[in-house]
Amino acid sequence: MKRLGMVMALGALALGCGDDGNAPAEQQDVALSFAAVVGEEPFVCGDTYENLGANGTPLVLSDFRFYVQDVALKNAAGAWVPVELEENSFQSSGVALLDFEDGCGELGTPELNGIVRGTVPPGDYDGLQFKMGVPFEINHVNSATAPSPLNLTSLFWNWQGGYKFLRIDSGQFSETDWRMHLGSTGCEGDPMAGGVTSCANGNRTEVELDTFDVSANTVVADFAALVEGSAVDQDAAADAGCMSKPVDTDCGPLFANLGLSFGENPGGEQQFFSAE
Amino acid sequence: MKHLLRTLSLLSLILWTGCGDGDTASGAEAWVWNLPDTVPPPRVPEDNPMSLAKVELGRFLFYDTKLSGNQTQSCGSCHLQELAFTDGLARAEGSTGEIHPRSSMSLANAGYAASLTWANPAVVRLEEQALVPMFGEDPVELGLANMEDELLRRLREDERYPPMFAAAFPNQGDPISLDSITKSIASFQRALTSFNSKHDQGSSALTLSEQRGKALFFGGTTEAGVPDALECFHCHGGFLLSQAVDHDGSEFNQQTFINNGLYNLDSDGSYPEGNEGLFDITNDPADKGKFKPPSLRNVAVTAPYMHDGSIATLEEVVEHYARGGRLIESGPNAGDGFENPNKSAFLNGFEITEQEKQDLIAFLRTLTDEDLLTNPALSDPFAP
Repeated sequence: MKRLGMVMALGALALGCGDDGNAPAEQQDVALSFAAVVGEEPFVCGDTYENLGANGTPLVLSDFRFYVQDVALKNAAGAWVPVELEENSFQSSGVALLDFEDGCGELGTPELNGIVRGTVPPGDYDGLQFKMGVPFEINHVNSATAPSPLNLTSLFWNWQGGYKFLRIDSGQFSETDWRMHLGSTGCEGDPMAGGVTSCANGNRTEVELDTFDVSANTVVADFAALVEGSAVDQDAAADAGCMSKPVDTDCGPLFANLGLSFGENPGGEQQFFSAE
Repeated sequence: MKHLLRTLSLLSLILWTGCGDGDTASGAEAWVWNLPDTVPPPRVPEDNPMSLAKVELGRFLFYDTKLSGNQTQSCGSCHLQELAFTDGLARAEGSTGEIHPRSSMSLANAGYAASLTWANPAVVRLEEQALVPMFGEDPVELGLANMEDELLRRLREDERYPPMFAAAFPNQGDPISLDSITKSIASFQRALTSFNSKHDQGSSALTLSEQRGKALFFGGTTEAGVPDALECFHCHGGFLLSQAVDHDGSEFNQQTFINNGLYNLDSDGSYPEGNEGLFDITNDPADKGKFKPPSLRNVAVTAPYMHDGSIATLEEVVEHYARGGRLIESGPNAGDGFENPNKSAFLNGFEITEQEKQDLIAFLRTLTDEDLLTNPALSDPFAP
């Protein structure tokens, strides 16, 4: 047993390259709960949900994952205080993956995660802010060497570089199955710089839950709210569903519900996330 | 205690090798570019220096069907050496049967591309481009999404690979990784240099017909009396025969995308949906139909032509440019490409005699590099 303890300690040392990971001792732990729902029902990978979108369409949902960044809590003085995210298999470089699929689809994994863990200075907090996305600075580095959870190939956003910030699939990957993959678009690169230098459309949803009790509340991501007003049974342009292509008019209502600008629509308040 | 000591020494070994980039060329044979004096070496990323061991590993990986989800295809399935690493199809077919909207590009001189694929300014590193066919889902090519662990397992279990990876990545504890796979394949692609054509031997090596064609290509006056009537070299000039070039000494971004009047579906100059070139990335209507002018090296063996393989022969390509755009009279793609509002100013059309056409094509045929097509060092090691 002693030996095991020693080996584990050394293992931690060996894994610690370039990262001292020592938060100041006075920090307090936070664990933010997230949940995925479809209207009134919890999301269960592979379940069928009725009455979705503009035409009340049923869909079999087979994936539901998203990244969050820039997590902050509001302190008693009303100031936003960044949450220092823990490093673990679902979190690295200030990014966390919320993962509600259990591998029911071919491109999923059995592991689930509904909690974002980190630390903040001691105090009382009553509000929550985050963005759905991966920061530009790490979105376009070599994904082949990125640490988990930024090394899941089903979340690579290869055609522009970077990651799928949100992946929700229905069905089993036929070209006609409704899917939404959200990521940055309009990216430019430079061979001298060796990669992407800018993206016209960041497509990071900004979420602010002004009253949020960390110990009692849950952040709820609602698929029914995401597809509200969207004809998910139809494919007006480009892909079935929305791969974030600016030409895909099917993306319009979905981007609006995410508060993101799309075409003529400047974007506004997001409807996908709420506190419960 | 003995166990503990052994564990400790093992761990200290891991500690010792675990940090730093561990990818120096020490122990691996040095790489030497085999290039004529007229051609600069390609840009090589600092974190992926060339070595013989890495290029050879990259060759095996490039041709290995383990690199597709269902093990039916390799990179080489759509990039055949004898066709200058194209596939002869109008549009490529992926491992699951999905038809790609675009035609497989030649990989000859891929290390010199200012941007990779047909029209994507964001993709500039071969290492990252390799992830697109491997893991892309829209469309599915090699179909490896979510199979990275399975892929690594397949390679670890093949007795050939562990020593090859160890030789190519000598200072790494566990060299079989996604990163080392893409770095090896990228190194193999950088090694696909092709500058040994008849054209590279100078004009004196060319027949009179080929010389006349070369003159027309590079701005000569046609029989109709028009100087630089053909205007080919403006987009297809330089040592690569493409302006969209990058190399070791490049100081500026030379990415180039032009509209050559293949389609004109509406007043915006639209191309068939989902295949509109630079527009698919930028969403700027002025970018509709803009694609990278590919290198014309080996063009005689890379038919069919254009991003969607919609022109079958070199003769028809010349006729397309002579008209200054393609007229499609009926069907879903009807429209006159000559009138496309985004069309390049170089596509004005020209009068060309039958002899001039044959001369021009004779010149294009001098761009074939037989070494590239037959060099055993670049060939499929799994071929029967």
